[in-house]
Amino acid sequence: MNQEIVSMYRKECLRDDGMLFVRTEAIFDTMIKTPLLVASLIIVAAIMPVQSSFSSPRALDLIIYPDGSTHVSTEIDVDPLVADFELDLFGSTIDNLVVVNENGFLLNTEIIGDFALVETFGSSIIFVEYDIHDLVSKQGRMWTFYLDAPSDFSLFLPKNSAIVGMTNLPINMEIIRDQNQLTLSSGEAEINYLFGTSHTISDPVIPDNPAPEIDDFVFLIIGGIALTVIVVIGIMVMRTKQKTAKSVLGKQTIQKTETVDTETVDTETVDTETIFKIKPDLREDDKEIVRFISNNGGEVLESDLRKKFLQPRTTMWRAVKRLERNGIIEIEKKDLQNLVKIRKDIEEEK
Amino acid sequence: MKTLALFTIFVLIFGTASSSFSDAYAQNDPTVLLRIATQADTEILNQLENSYGDSVPSDVQALYEKGNAAVESLESSLSDNVEQAKEDFLIAMKSFRQISNLISEPSSETKSIPSFDRDLESELNRLYKYFQSLKTISQKHNTGIDFSEIEQKFVLVREQINSDMHDESTKTLHELESLIHVKNQKIREHSSNSASDRIIIFALKQLEKIQKMLDDPTLDTSMPEFAIAISLVAEIETLISEDNIPDAKEKFGELNKIMKIIKRSNGQ
Repeated sequence: MNQEIVSMYRKECLRDDGMLFVRTEAIFDTMIKTPLLVASLIIVAAIMPVQSSFSSPRALDLIIYPDGSTHVSTEIDVDPLVADFELDLFGSTIDNLVVVNENGFLLNTEIIGDFALVETFGSSIIFVEYDIHDLVSKQGRMWTFYLDAPSDFSLFLPKNSAIVGMTNLPINMEIIRDQNQLTLSSGEAEINYLFGTSHTISDPVIPDNPAPEIDDFVFLIIGGIALTVIVVIGIMVMRTKQKTAKSVLGKQTIQKTETVDTETVDTETVDTETIFKIKPDLREDDKEIVRFISNNGGEVLESDLRKKFLQPRTTMWRAVKRLERNGIIEIEKKDLQNLVKIRKDIEEEK
Repeated sequence: MKTLALFTIFVLIFGTASSSFSDAYAQNDPTVLLRIATQADTEILNQLENSYGDSVPSDVQALYEKGNAAVESLESSLSDNVEQAKEDFLIAMKSFRQISNLISEPSSETKSIPSFDRDLESELNRLYKYFQSLKTISQKHNTGIDFSEIEQKFVLVREQINSDMHDESTKTLHELESLIHVKNQKIREHSSNSASDRIIIFALKQLEKIQKMLDDPTLDTSMPEFAIAISLVAEIETLISEDNIPDAKEKFGELNKIMKIIKRSNGQ
């Protein structure tokens, strides 16, 4: 059996079965208001980073004390429509839990295992502070901090401690009052440290520091992008204004044309008799359509033709297509409608 | 049209990318890695000297050399090969961690914090932080609670710790804990009034919403939960009007559970 390879691309066909296919490149222009679309996209893009689900911490800071206990401070978005919030604690040995809402009200809490039930009652943000004894363990002289963090977090290590092991890459490190402060990504993090003979070390000599270059480069990119966005928006606004002005003028022209008495023939109207001479085989009903278009200044909306001749959409569409195939008219898109125009080059075709 | 399409795509991409932009950039700062690795290298070297002097076991020596080589490689790859630098960092830290494990007493078990020797200074600092949080809340709501006694005790206990007066400082810390606990209760009592107002406002809003849900004509009113919900709404309203907030809260919890069942059975 011979197999035939058939292109998957659908062939455009003009079927005379009454189905209206609208092929238009201006569909976005006409269906969607451009400024509205652009504004919506910008808003979406702007709020995307802000969006976060309830219970994901906005901020998470941890301080490890020399005895391995850890102070946790976190800020969490909560659903203001619910009465309470289940706060996941990082362990079950909790001390000094304090939860306040965005107005500084102390909220009632109940610790149940490794979570706390917080009575939020309409609060949208809660600020949580507590001490926990579950995050650091000790083996010999080595201390190990472990956390599966729900978000990026900062971690203050005790004074005189030196990191000697780390399972993942830190985002940043600073030395504040002789203490290492690390910024780490969400997910599992394990840090091993010793209270050592060497203290926290100030910045070592670093060969080529690419960071400032990246810094400048990044700001340049951001600046460039911002400028481009502003320019493009400006251009689009100007274009929209121009389009609006044109469409207003266009509408005014059409209105004027419509008011002209049908007997008054426009000077620029193509002579229908010439057309009929060129195309002697035209049907009578098609000739009527041509006359009407001609009397309307050479162009008319397909919908107006339907109204004038009281024809169903499909019948009129077929008639218009016939005229188009005969080379008498051409169809243009205008505000999602078909604008039927008598071709000015019919005579040339002769 | 093409310009518009390109622009919209650009806006979307930029918007999406911008959310992770700062993180991505921050992680590209490789100098942090060198700082941490150098610190670890120095610390491990000191530990080796302290533990073994000149006779470092060969396996430990090999691990150190591996870690040290990774630090050197990290230093040289910093400027031109960040990915290599990251890899070097992880290799170095893994080696140093293994050395630390070996240096640490091999027989020692991993301890959780409560079994550690008590560190009074850490305890004091934790307690002071807790006290500061409560004091801030108290001042914000003008409770008029006097904290001077607690503050004096903090000064005293710090002096005791600095003077290595272990028993005295332990005793003072206990006193402080009790005092702070009492103040905490007072703050809660004081804030209970404003909390009640907040709860009432919240409950009334929620009751209104629930009432609207119960008025839904598509709801199956024949289910027993419907009657319970109606009765609970009335009960909560009465409790609120009587200013009986604790009971209202309890009933509200029950109502929420019932409403969940109703919503579920109604396919919402």
